[in-house]
Amino acid sequence: MKLWKNILFFLSVMGPGIITANIDNDASGITTYSVAGARFGYGLLWTLLPTTIALVVIQETIARMGVITGKGLSDLIRENFGVKMAFFMMLGLFVANFGNTVANLAGWAASMEILGFSKFVMVPVGAISIWILVTRGSYRFVEKILLFACLLYFGYVISGFMAKPDWGPVMKNAFIPQMRMQELWNAEYVVLSIAIIGTTITPWMQFYLQSSIAEKGIKKEQYKASRLDVIIGCFITDIVSFFIIVTCGALLFPHGIRINEASEAAIALKPLAGEYAYLVFSVCLANASLLGAIIVPLATAYYVCEAMGWEAGINKTFKEAPQFMWIYTMTIVLASLVILIPGAPLVFLMVLSAVINGLLLPFVLVFALLLVNNRKLMGEYTNSRTYNYISWATIITIIILTSFLVVTTFIPLNG
Amino acid sequence: MPFFGEVFSSEIIKKTVLDPKGEDLGRVRDLVIIKGDPLPKVSALIIERKKKSYYLPWHDLNIFNKKIISSRVYAESLKSYEMIGDDLLILRDILDKQIVDANGAKVVRVNDIKLEGYHNEAVLIAVDVGMRGILRRLGMERGGEDLAKLFKKSLPFNLISWDYLQPLEPKLTEISLTIPRQMLSELHPADIADIISSVSQKDGATFFNNLDIETAAEALSELKPEMQADIISAMDTEKAADIIEEMPPDEAADVLSDLTTERAKEILEHIEKEEAEDIQELLGHEEDTAGGLMTTDFIAYPPDMTVMEATEKFKTDAREAENVYYIYLVDKEEKLRGVASLRELLLAENDCHLADIMETNLKTVAPGEDEMVVAGIISKYNLLALPVVDENGYMHGIITVDDIIDLLLPPEAKKKRRRV
Repeated sequence: MKLWKNILFFLSVMGPGIITANIDNDASGITTYSVAGARFGYGLLWTLLPTTIALVVIQETIARMGVITGKGLSDLIRENFGVKMAFFMMLGLFVANFGNTVANLAGWAASMEILGFSKFVMVPVGAISIWILVTRGSYRFVEKILLFACLLYFGYVISGFMAKPDWGPVMKNAFIPQMRMQELWNAEYVVLSIAIIGTTITPWMQFYLQSSIAEKGIKKEQYKASRLDVIIGCFITDIVSFFIIVTCGALLFPHGIRINEASEAAIALKPLAGEYAYLVFSVCLANASLLGAIIVPLATAYYVCEAMGWEAGINKTFKEAPQFMWIYTMTIVLASLVILIPGAPLVFLMVLSAVINGLLLPFVLVFALLLVNNRKLMGEYTNSRTYNYISWATIITIIILTSFLVVTTFIPLNG
Repeated sequence: MPFFGEVFSSEIIKKTVLDPKGEDLGRVRDLVIIKGDPLPKVSALIIERKKKSYYLPWHDLNIFNKKIISSRVYAESLKSYEMIGDDLLILRDILDKQIVDANGAKVVRVNDIKLEGYHNEAVLIAVDVGMRGILRRLGMERGGEDLAKLFKKSLPFNLISWDYLQPLEPKLTEISLTIPRQMLSELHPADIADIISSVSQKDGATFFNNLDIETAAEALSELKPEMQADIISAMDTEKAADIIEEMPPDEAADVLSDLTTERAKEILEHIEKEEAEDIQELLGHEEDTAGGLMTTDFIAYPPDMTVMEATEKFKTDAREAENVYYIYLVDKEEKLRGVASLRELLLAENDCHLADIMETNLKTVAPGEDEMVVAGIISKYNLLALPVVDENGYMHGIITVDDIIDLLLPPEAKKKRRRV
């Protein structure tokens, strides 16, 4: 009986962690993993384990802050680091998240096109449905829909098994880096491995996770369940990433097929693995893109409203939280227009957003760590010393790697 | 220490403080706030000198404005200061905090704080919640103005007067407004009255000047008598007369009775003659008697009027009258004969006479009756209004239930009412 009670208790708290981590595998995430699998086979699988650990450490910190303070990350940044930091971060995040939203809607458009629908019909349809969902739905309702949609990610797991990979090399690559010297010097290899971290740990998800925990109103007593929610979410997301790489590594890599887009992976899979793998890849991409197009604009809206002190939340109506709803609405409308207008600078926007994300991430992570160690805010829930060592090590590594990614965007390595 | 004019906290923070010889004493790190009358005031500056904090009391300052801050004391006599104390500090405790409205909904954050000179003290006059405040903090207020000018717009000043904020305490996490977020004009007059009660007299009067006459009249009736008198005295006669004229005669009389005789006379002279006469008559009664409570504004028809005529006439009369639920039947000698409720009037046949439907067994009170007795009768018989009739049977006016509802409420409920 006690077990059942515990499970029910967990189900009531579950949501923010699993959703945030899963939707982390949005259009750009799936693209990165597909490209990595097709280009290097199982060669980059080993990056997933350290990435997962880093993700768990960071997400747990953020979730703990949300539970204990009951405030969003941006609330805390504004109150503790002043208007200057909050404001410039707001500008950066605004542009970066807009780029992410465009990328996600582009992923949605591409997957719809390969499934045989016109993007001129499907982009407005997708945009309007996610707009209605958030503006009309309550937090609980939206959360249920998102959790349900997250189940679709398991399509990748199934396709991974259907690709019938040779499990021996897969497992070996997953736990032991199989680097040869020539690969270490291969710029593409380095950039892709960093990109995997870059798409897994993003600024927007920290803001979304903490705000949604605050909006859900999770209490101190429920913190353990919330932590479980976060950890499960982080593992699921990287298991999904794992199977994307495995599928592409098993089917595309041996044929030397190079791809640049997640939708290209779906097309390339069709002749090799049949109709089913193609369907899974395109439907899952469509699903992931649309989920990303919900969460990323929400992260912007939460951030801006918290920094400015405006009322915010999915539970609120247009009248109660006008700025929140308008930011969400305008981000989706403008991003859809960018997709639909021929000749709009899509690639430029996405590169810009990747660069700004890379620049923002160090600040977000350092702020988060300073805040979580602030006794006035966190009381007895500050980090332990060991946890702080792990966190700082993780953050410093991420900062070095992402700044490297930013630099290589401007000065491409020869490779 | 003389301080005139106004300054924003962001223009003070990090400014250099000079000693009497013009040497660098340190930089402003924060400002200590204490309770003051009518507004909180700055009691000291916290200055930072060689990475240490020092306490510089307000009376040790020589000059304090946005250009120069100088002290009367030298570095040696500064007392060191611990930032962890219970003092209320502008930068640490107020700036950037969330402002929530009376219902707990988030409104905006404190972007800046405006100080103003008042009796040689710097008082906290308002919080800046607009874009201007943010730009000023970023050091870009000028740039913002220029940019706005390009678009032929001006940057608005969004200030919330300190009066609308709940008293502050150290270590607060958010600051509450005393009003809901909706614009003041959308507030119920009773709520406006509550706000007025919590602000200073001068502000109350300015506030009233900004309201339209109708809202002002309604809000004024909800105020406590002393407050009404204060506000009307502070207003110019013309405007005061307009507001008084808009009020029901009984309430107008109450307000005037609390004013000085000359002031009341002055205002009455500006009021339409008929209305003024009604008020004058009411002024003749003691305040806590039936006569003092009553209004002369009621609907009275002759008993031989038909229902059809009465209904027609009612449509015009009801626009003006305060209470329309009872129609009093008064004969040619102004003696009260009976009463018909609005329901009875509407349900009666058109060709009936009012005398046929009227209730003749009615409760009345004498003008000299004590207000508690009046309240007792209204409460006992569940009346909406009670006629005031003298020993000769003349009807002088009516007392409506809302005139005595405050007497009927137990004291706790009255307190609660302020909070809702």
